Amino acid sequence: MRSFRKLALGASVLVLALSACSTGGSGTTIKIGSDDFDEAKVVAEIYAQALEAKGFTVDRAGIGLGARAVTAAALESAKIDLKPEYLGGGLQHYGGTPDRQPDTNRDLLQGKLNAVGGGITVLNYAPAQDSNAFVIRKDTADQYHLAKMSDMAPVQNQIKWGLATDCPTNALCAKALKDEYGLEPTNVTYLGACSGPMADALLKKTVDVAELCSTGPEIKTNGWVILEDDKQTQPAENIVPIVRNDLLAKIDQAKFKDALNAVSAKIDTATLAQLYYDVAVGHKDLKDVASAWLKSAGLVS
Amino acid sequence: MNILTDTLAWLTDPSHWTGPAGIPTRLGEHLALSGVSMAVAIALAIPIGIYIGHTGRYARLVVNSANLWRALPSLALIGIVLPFTSAMDPQLGFKVYPTLVAMVVLAVPPVLVNTQAGIAGVDRDLVEAARAMGMRERQVVRQVELPLALPALDSGIRSGAVQVVATATLGAIFGSGGLGRYLVEGVAQQDDGMTFGGVVLVAALALSVEAGFVLLQRGMKK
Repeated sequence: MRSFRKLALGASVLVLALSACSTGGSGTTIKIGSDDFDEAKVVAEIYAQALEAKGFTVDRAGIGLGARAVTAAALESAKIDLKPEYLGGGLQHYGGTPDRQPDTNRDLLQGKLNAVGGGITVLNYAPAQDSNAFVIRKDTADQYHLAKMSDMAPVQNQIKWGLATDCPTNALCAKALKDEYGLEPTNVTYLGACSGPMADALLKKTVDVAELCSTGPEIKTNGWVILEDDKQTQPAENIVPIVRNDLLAKIDQAKFKDALNAVSAKIDTATLAQLYYDVAVGHKDLKDVASAWLKSAGLVS
Repeated sequence: MNILTDTLAWLTDPSHWTGPAGIPTRLGEHLALSGVSMAVAIALAIPIGIYIGHTGRYARLVVNSANLWRALPSLALIGIVLPFTSAMDPQLGFKVYPTLVAMVVLAVPPVLVNTQAGIAGVDRDLVEAARAMGMRERQVVRQVELPLALPALDSGIRSGAVQVVATATLGAIFGSGGLGRYLVEGVAQQDDGMTFGGVVLVAALALSVEAGFVLLQRGMKK
């Protein structure tokens, strides 16, 4: 009887040990998160499906978590392991000074991220860029002869502004507007960045200039004008996956990185805009848009 | 500990008590939005409540429909109403009217249901006695039913007011003023002091409204 018990105990320990040593990261769940606008969410969903196609287990609860400040904090504290980030905006968030060149921004961002959350790795960036854009309706452009941001200072208090709720503390917004363009408008409505209400406000003439994302579908749909950033305050904003080092240590790194780098290589600005359009204007389901694109790009079968 | 100290620091910072984004301004905006919503809700719900409570007609139908209204999510309502109201007025129709409508829809059910119950619950013998004395229906309502139903009315208005004060924070998502702005902006800017300062203020306001009405109700019972 005793030897039988020992045998049973030994067998169960062996089974437990074997199941813990599983390969391909099937024992580790990758927690994916993203900022809460449609473009970030669909890219995160694409990452999720690309990884699942390679056999990884994915948790999507963090998709659409909140503004960058929220998701960055979540990544640093390991509430999420992976999220899409923008080279310039991400670097700015960590106190860096972004450049117009994506490679420079990538290296600077990696430098900053080595020191947070126990180390975060920047993978390959996509050709696609989405930057902060100040957008006006065609009738406003015609009325005040506005084409670039420098044109705005003389009329700043005659028009109504729609700025992001994080604008006051976001260096790409309040600081850039004030320092480079002399803009400190008085008539401001604060709405979510790149959000439905922001685009609605511009459409309904509640505001005359809105802070949107440059790949935003509503810009094309409504024939709006993106004010040219002539003082080049907006840096290279390629979209890139960033991932915690402690997650990389627990999974098949090569397979993981290959999966995501293959995805990034195929996302150009036109693709990004189209994905954003399909979700935000076409009202198609995030998961359907992601899977349709992955199939058409030949990344999943 | 950090959140507590941040929140206390935010609430006690004198610069947060002045200016167009200061606490008094936001408080005033919030009270105005809530007050107007309640006024509209009362103007709609009390007459209907009195009618169905007094006559008994359609009572069940109206009360059940009102209870269905409670199930409508306020945020969705704001989104639905917005295109129509902003076509009327790009400023108020975007920032104020949709939230106003959603708050009225929120406040009507408790006021209506409590008014009906209060009026219908008045002792029928008293009502009959009043009629026997020669009072017209309108006098019966005004002089017998309404005074006796006042505590119930107050209770309904109180319930509606507290819900409205707590929910009017949603308007901030669409650019309206009020204490909700601290919640929305605090989260976006990762400023815990602002966010939880906003939470404390909304809770304090809701509790004050509740307390105010309770005192009123006690005064009425005397």
